[in-house]
Amino acid sequence: MSEEPVDVLIVGSGAAGAAFAWRLADTRMNILCLEQGDWMDPAKYPGVRNDWEVRQLGDFSISPNTRGRREDYPVNDGASPIQTSMFNAVGGSTILYAAHFPCFHPSDFRARTLDGVADDWPIDYRRLEPYYRVNAHMMGVSGLAGDPAYPPKEVPLPPVAFGKLGETLAKGFNRLGWHWWPSDSAITTQEHEGRAPCINAGTCLAGCAQGAKASTDITYWPAALRQGVTLKARCRVREVTLAENGMVDGVIYYDADGAERRQKAHVVVLACNGIGTPRLLLNSRSKLFPDGLANRSGLVGKNLMFHPYAMVTGIFDEPLEGYKGPTGCCIMSQEFYETDGARGFVRGYSFEVVRGFGPVSIALRGMQMGRLPWGAGHHRAYGELFDRTAGVVAICEDLPESGNCVTLDPSLVDSDGIPAPKISYRLSENSTRMLEHGVARATEVLEAAGAKETIAEAPLPFAGWHLMGTARMGTDPQRSVVNEWGRCHDVRNLFIIDGSIFVTAAAVNPTNTIQALALYIADTMKKNLANLFD
Amino acid sequence: MSDETRNRGFSPDEVRTLAGVLDEIIPPRDDGRLPGAGALGLARYVDEALENMPELRSMIGDGLAALNDLAARRSSRVFAELSKQDRSEVMNELASTEHAFPPILILHVYAGYYQHARVIEALGIEPRPPHPKGYQMEANDLTLLDPVRRRPKLYREC
Repeated sequence: MSEEPVDVLIVGSGAAGAAFAWRLADTRMNILCLEQGDWMDPAKYPGVRNDWEVRQLGDFSISPNTRGRREDYPVNDGASPIQTSMFNAVGGSTILYAAHFPCFHPSDFRARTLDGVADDWPIDYRRLEPYYRVNAHMMGVSGLAGDPAYPPKEVPLPPVAFGKLGETLAKGFNRLGWHWWPSDSAITTQEHEGRAPCINAGTCLAGCAQGAKASTDITYWPAALRQGVTLKARCRVREVTLAENGMVDGVIYYDADGAERRQKAHVVVLACNGIGTPRLLLNSRSKLFPDGLANRSGLVGKNLMFHPYAMVTGIFDEPLEGYKGPTGCCIMSQEFYETDGARGFVRGYSFEVVRGFGPVSIALRGMQMGRLPWGAGHHRAYGELFDRTAGVVAICEDLPESGNCVTLDPSLVDSDGIPAPKISYRLSENSTRMLEHGVARATEVLEAAGAKETIAEAPLPFAGWHLMGTARMGTDPQRSVVNEWGRCHDVRNLFIIDGSIFVTAAAVNPTNTIQALALYIADTMKKNLANLFD
Repeated sequence: MSDETRNRGFSPDEVRTLAGVLDEIIPPRDDGRLPGAGALGLARYVDEALENMPELRSMIGDGLAALNDLAARRSSRVFAELSKQDRSEVMNELASTEHAFPPILILHVYAGYYQHARVIEALGIEPRPPHPKGYQMEANDLTLLDPVRRRPKLYREC
């Protein structure tokens, strides 16, 4: 092993790892982060070239299986109706995410008490509220205060442009008397902390060359590095190692040249996402933990939650200029968010209005939907689609089920020979009913907005962006993996800070809450430094 | 043609046949503002797109050969020399055989066509990458939110 142990070793530099490193940096402890991916160069993002849409089918695909770069690991998700999406680089999946940035609601932390399903979180909305505020400033969140779907909250920057598409849909919501509100977006709409404002390029999902979208390589990391945190890229951790006293003492990793290295640490913090973290724990077996590190509960890898998505595309007569503006951020609705027993399911969903697509994407989607023939009718069919579509997606709350899980694939490995994860997942009856409800209501609002035709897809097969629940938090070591501040019940110097620790999934994009949790855990560690392992 | 030879790219004859196929997949627009995919020169684009997919290139190459066989049987000419009507009929005939072109060929043709500057311009968009210029958008009309602002709170206290 490396002779000198670091005080804190973070595995993963994405949404959680970056926020945590920055928050802990003022302790002046020796903090090191190992990241399997490399630094990205925004000047080389696809949006600077004409073929930018095509690159989303290859080296900038949201699927690690499609990209297949050295720094990606494969995921066996062939048996799941929802395939996983992630990115491996400094900044993690924030490089390619849409930056839709809502908070959870107070009720999201109390599903058992309010609705009799799943479990309550061991913390509540008020505990995270101050960290949402810190995160909004650090990430540069745009939006609008006063949303009746949320307790009062501050939003640092004005909302992203609705555009003709957003206003058309907003009028549809108004005609039905339904709630809608400008999306909270981690996208700068004005100069903010040295970042330029959004120019409505519409390339968010292929990386933001403008730097307006908040990926953590341009938000938290520069600040953390200035404060003395060390980040080593292209270092893939194979396993967390255990000392004889039952505490972890470091990791084994492969460096950029593929050489095996060891790094000692007094504290290890996992921030590898809801699939990468259980994969690493399950790959870290020992006599003390034959079923995977910190897995006496048997819950490591269990209770995997995605957000099942339904998408309804409306086709309009008039141009909507949908290729302009942030791709996934426009307006949203939470008319059907809170539980209403009359709907036939518990919990609920958000609607997000998504923009139209660029010229290539609309052609490929048209082909996929069976709406764009080749031959004589091609140009007429394309003309009916291009710049005349708007999407409404229902992002449904997935409830934890132990059968939905991450395990290790018996044969699939990554480029360093480390066993890869396998996903077992099925849609619950509750999720299925929620998706059906979402499709019907999304169709209704698109028609109210003037759509002449709608096309529904549910569940969206490629929408496994949100990876949660596979090492959940709780106060009972029999029923959870980490305690109420991210410390593993079984190993007191091992922490988990990513989406794995979510108890429930809520029905909004999770990144803001992942980061608020990471900030909260860092602060709690700082308060408990004197007796961190008691 | 052997697979080894084909892996170095389609031959000039194959490119010529492929260009005819591409014009059948995306023909010229009736108003004349847009050429067909073959006339736009996308055969070489497709060839390059298949560079790392030798099996697919081989499959498409076999399809091109089969197309010429069908054309020869019909009128003793190669596919590229057929009339437009005959080309369409031969393409449809091929679709029911084992040499039917795979959907991924269509995907590459669409991808190449709709990123071409001439096509982008005809769609009414400035033919340039989105960055660094981006797009202008109108200021938001926040009065649309007036009915929503009048609603009571929707969230549950707990």
